[in-house]
Amino acid sequence: MEGKRKITIGHLYPDLLNLYGDRGNIACMMQRCRWRGIEAETIEYNLGDEIDFGRLDIVLLGGGSDREQMIVCRKLQEIQEAFQAYVEDNGVVIAVCGGYQLLGKYYKTKEGVIQGLNLVDLYTEQGEGRLIDNIVLQSDLVKMPVAGFENHGGRTYINGNKPFGKVLYGSGNDGESGYEGVVYKNVIGTYLHGPLLPKNPEVCDWLIARALERKYGESRLSPLDDSHEIEANSYVYQRFVGGNQ
Amino acid sequence: MLAVWAAKCAEKVSVHVFHRQGVTWAGKIALRICPDILAELASQVREDIFIVCGTNGKTTTNNMLCAALEAEGKKVVCNHTGSNMLNGVAAAFALAAGLGGNLDADCASIEIDEASTKRVFPNFKPDYMVLTNLFRDQLDRYGEIDITMNLLKEVMQTAPDMKVIVNGDDALSAFLAMDAGNPCITYGISEKVVDDQDSHEIREGRFCKKCGALMHYYFYHYSQLGDYACTACDFKRPAIDFDASGIQVEEGLSFTVEDRRISADYKGFYNVYNILAAYAAVRSAGMKAEHFNEMLAGFNPENGRMEEFHIRGTRVTLNLAKNPAGFNQNISAVMQDNMPKDVIIVINDNEQDGTDISWLWDVDFDRFKDAEANSITVSGIRCQDMRLRLKYVDIPSMLESDVAEAVSERIQNGCGNLYVLVNYTALFGTRTILKKMEGQK
Repeated sequence: MEGKRKITIGHLYPDLLNLYGDRGNIACMMQRCRWRGIEAETIEYNLGDEIDFGRLDIVLLGGGSDREQMIVCRKLQEIQEAFQAYVEDNGVVIAVCGGYQLLGKYYKTKEGVIQGLNLVDLYTEQGEGRLIDNIVLQSDLVKMPVAGFENHGGRTYINGNKPFGKVLYGSGNDGESGYEGVVYKNVIGTYLHGPLLPKNPEVCDWLIARALERKYGESRLSPLDDSHEIEANSYVYQRFVGGNQ
Repeated sequence: MLAVWAAKCAEKVSVHVFHRQGVTWAGKIALRICPDILAELASQVREDIFIVCGTNGKTTTNNMLCAALEAEGKKVVCNHTGSNMLNGVAAAFALAAGLGGNLDADCASIEIDEASTKRVFPNFKPDYMVLTNLFRDQLDRYGEIDITMNLLKEVMQTAPDMKVIVNGDDALSAFLAMDAGNPCITYGISEKVVDDQDSHEIREGRFCKKCGALMHYYFYHYSQLGDYACTACDFKRPAIDFDASGIQVEEGLSFTVEDRRISADYKGFYNVYNILAAYAAVRSAGMKAEHFNEMLAGFNPENGRMEEFHIRGTRVTLNLAKNPAGFNQNISAVMQDNMPKDVIIVINDNEQDGTDISWLWDVDFDRFKDAEANSITVSGIRCQDMRLRLKYVDIPSMLESDVAEAVSERIQNGCGNLYVLVNYTALFGTRTILKKMEGQK
């Protein structure tokens, strides 16, 4: 039964949004499907390519430099409607760093305002200094702590939306609220790279399960040996938060 | 001069008592006692001051340049150890000076960390700047490449007469040199050596820094280095003044420039650029470089860049790999060796390494599958992350967080040909361990 299932991942603008090891998120989703006998493919969309959201089960929107984000945001307006329909139809999205900021209404920088996709009710403003460090969260979506790295000048305000997690170590959305990221329908927006998914296999499986549920109406995933993932995750947790998990 | 004396003492104390590279400390003390010491000593250099900047290849290029200048009979001040921030630069001058504060030097060849240029340039204006390349590196420390480029441009414009010797194959460096407006001399490789078009390597420079349009690449040597032209504006690879041709990378390296055959017993295609940069610098300053090949034959930097050790019958090659472009080139160099081998990868996340290790996922580790690697051991502070990185390209690895243990185990049970690839802060410790083991035979 599992062998017949297939997940198609759309990687948006990897030629521009490819900072902080986003390829690791793709590799993680692909491998964790394949190891379970689920067929997986990734389609890379570069700037100007036509995107057929109807084909896609998971969309990855990664991070880029402010300059590259500015180039992307102009193009994004052209796909806004189709992207929004995908999100409202419970399409799965993982948006990281710059991609997270692009989910919202706008990102106000000192140089000007980058218009976002307006898919989730949030906005970002450039703050004083960058928030750079390892980061650990506790998220309702998963049992294990979520471990990663953050590096952002923007402060993101999520207007009453559900955050991705509570900050145990690090800064999070705005450095003050104590929360990080956003979860809206099947969309996760987060500042966590590292990359996010390899050290947080439950988050990866959450995305895959949501995509299977939407496509096949059932989200059963066979267990994998995650001992190495758990060790890498625990190392970060122990070092920065300490105590027993 | 008190500052010089204090620097020398500090260096002796910290190197011999604390067994660490005391250079940075020496510079700090000298600057504390005499804030003008760097400006004062640099002004005593009789001829040219060369600086070397760029993401990768700084230390090798700079040491090679120093050796090439010495081969021309010059007395040279050089920060050999790669201490390349303000303190390290000040120390190089202070340690080369006499106790009376007199510096007897014809030239200086100094590598400078890109972010530190703005603190160093107010002290002296270099005559020549070698700009090797710009790759993504330690995003948590330096930020995005655009930030580094803006910073360098500002600094370069404070020395408008400084001649920039730039790698013309790198669209980012070439644009920066042009944008800053300094007089330029270019080096590069115009012929296609290997076809790197299909590699999945992450490349910078996909879009024109001048107008933002897509860049066209006729070919890539590696990373974004290659032959390029903007699809919209007039920005393209500049004419190359020092053009290497007839490149050979098997059995050492050799190439022809200015009708001279240059050869060296090194591995790694990237070393063609390092050698070419040093050659272009010496030639640009009007020297004949007649002893360049002899210099290369005797060049042994002993600084953990493809440095060999022989320990109880095992040949150990140590090499620094601190960012994706450097690591990918390291893997290529390892693959040039067809013999079976063991590999140890040491990854730390100390401040000088960059505390963000996500760059590991931008390295094409899957190429190790074709590298005749009998085993891969991961070590260092972030060995678990490294093990995971390999797991997701289906490469199993052994984990031993302690470097000395990992090396001992492979020397005992390995195949006699060991590569140790380390990032920045792991270099000094690993080198000390290997030196010690080599001495114990």
